[in-house]
Amino acid sequence: MTWVTIGLSAATMLSMALVLSYILGWANKKFYVDVDQRILDIIDALPGANCGGCGYVGCGEYAEAVALEQEAVNKCIVGGQSCANTVAAIMGVTVGETLPFRPIVHCGAHYGDRLGRHEYRGEWSCAAANLVTDVQGCTFGCLGFGDCTRACQFDALHVVDGLATVDYDKCVGCGACANVCPRNIITITAFKSEQMLAVTCSNKDRGKDVTAVCDVGCIGCGACARASNLFSMQNNLSTINYEAYKSKCSSDVLKACETCKRKRLVFVGKPTAQDLEKAKDLEAPALVEPDFKTTVDDMEWRG
Amino acid sequence: MDYVFDIFLISISAALINNFVLYYFVGICPFIGVSRQVDMAVGMGSAVTFVMAIAVFISWTITTLVLMPGAPVSSWVAGFFMPPQQAAAIDLTILTYIVYIFAIASSVQLVEMYVRKFYPPLYKSFGVFLPLITTNCAILFACLTVMSHIVGVENPSDAWDLGRALALGIFGGLGFTIAIVIMAGIREELDLCDIPAPFKGAAITLIVGGILAMAFMGFNGVDSGLRAALTGAP
Repeated sequence: MTWVTIGLSAATMLSMALVLSYILGWANKKFYVDVDQRILDIIDALPGANCGGCGYVGCGEYAEAVALEQEAVNKCIVGGQSCANTVAAIMGVTVGETLPFRPIVHCGAHYGDRLGRHEYRGEWSCAAANLVTDVQGCTFGCLGFGDCTRACQFDALHVVDGLATVDYDKCVGCGACANVCPRNIITITAFKSEQMLAVTCSNKDRGKDVTAVCDVGCIGCGACARASNLFSMQNNLSTINYEAYKSKCSSDVLKACETCKRKRLVFVGKPTAQDLEKAKDLEAPALVEPDFKTTVDDMEWRG
Repeated sequence: MDYVFDIFLISISAALINNFVLYYFVGICPFIGVSRQVDMAVGMGSAVTFVMAIAVFISWTITTLVLMPGAPVSSWVAGFFMPPQQAAAIDLTILTYIVYIFAIASSVQLVEMYVRKFYPPLYKSFGVFLPLITTNCAILFACLTVMSHIVGVENPSDAWDLGRALALGIFGGLGFTIAIVIMAGIREELDLCDIPAPFKGAAITLIVGGILAMAFMGFNGVDSGLRAALTGAP
């Protein structure tokens, strides 16, 4: 009895499998959809991060747009130049110069530099803290609650001593951090070289008001604009004309950086070999203890 | 006449009174997931209806012919190995779940190929929800309801035939379509409303679903009322 039941069960399943797979096989032939081989090739060439940096929902949709709707081949920010070249080869077109897009945090104040900062016990996010007055004196600068850290899928942004700091080695430039920052202090900029000059302040107030809330913010003195025409003053804030920016900075630009009293004109990006050489002799603690008052990480207990 | 009336009652019951989504709360994931626009909801509803009808047809056939105790095919095969009275009692109902899932998965695959070939925009808008019909509990629920009316029925003449089973499948799917289209209509209007922040998104959707379910409770008792009115017997 038992063996017959087992045998019958197996036979039932097997015959069902046979019949259904025959029907599906027939349907597969009958309803075959011709997929453009180029779409499949492009999907293979793309990184497959589905980050949405190109403006499409996922890599598949972008591949379809490239193959069928003549979309530009260099829109994949994550893949960069090499990916653009591969896609261009598949599509039989040539690609122009592709600059990597990287975020710049336009704030340079760490906890010690920020004045008028008060204890905040609300929801631990910049979006919430931005709705409350007097979390810190500066209404333009980084709040340091790490919305950008949580938005980053690539572990490339961390809050270091209250300031969002980009790890340019890991960053792919998808722009998720810039979208999520409630104060819009992160801009996605085309990097013409590994290191870019940036104004690391967003405060548009007058100098007196800036000094009241920040020890390092741009006071709008205009010294940089007088030293080099790369800089201009807009809304009491030094602004770099990135259109005219050259990857090799001229001497007047470097002089402008030196004249800045608040040292707000800094180079961001990957450290060059020279910097590493310089930093080799500097003292660095062998072990850095995390400070739970200031470190924001995803592991923290939220009750 | 009695048979037609029975089919009619089963259909009304599956579509309205015991609506799968709003009475039994099965098939909630497409109900919430694909109810953003009315045209997508209609597409999803018709796909579910089609899959449900096919799945019920396959499961009714296999259950009656092979799986239920004393089914003709299994007892005929077993008759070669054992005495006839034992062979007639052979029971393969343990296989029902796996066989139903098998049938549902294959029919979903069939629908997916068909939609991909002939309605590419619909295929795109379904996205992941089309394969997810495979695990849509409403369809398995329909199959199991049909099974419960075939296997273990006291009086063999009460067991459902294919017509009743198909009525449940088709009108159950229709009931799902009604529910999801109503939901999609409401959600399209909700997009224009100023909803308080805590209720935005999934929260208000679930609340609306609950209110809809309460509204459908109004159909309770319609079947016995119809029976009384049409047959003159309580």
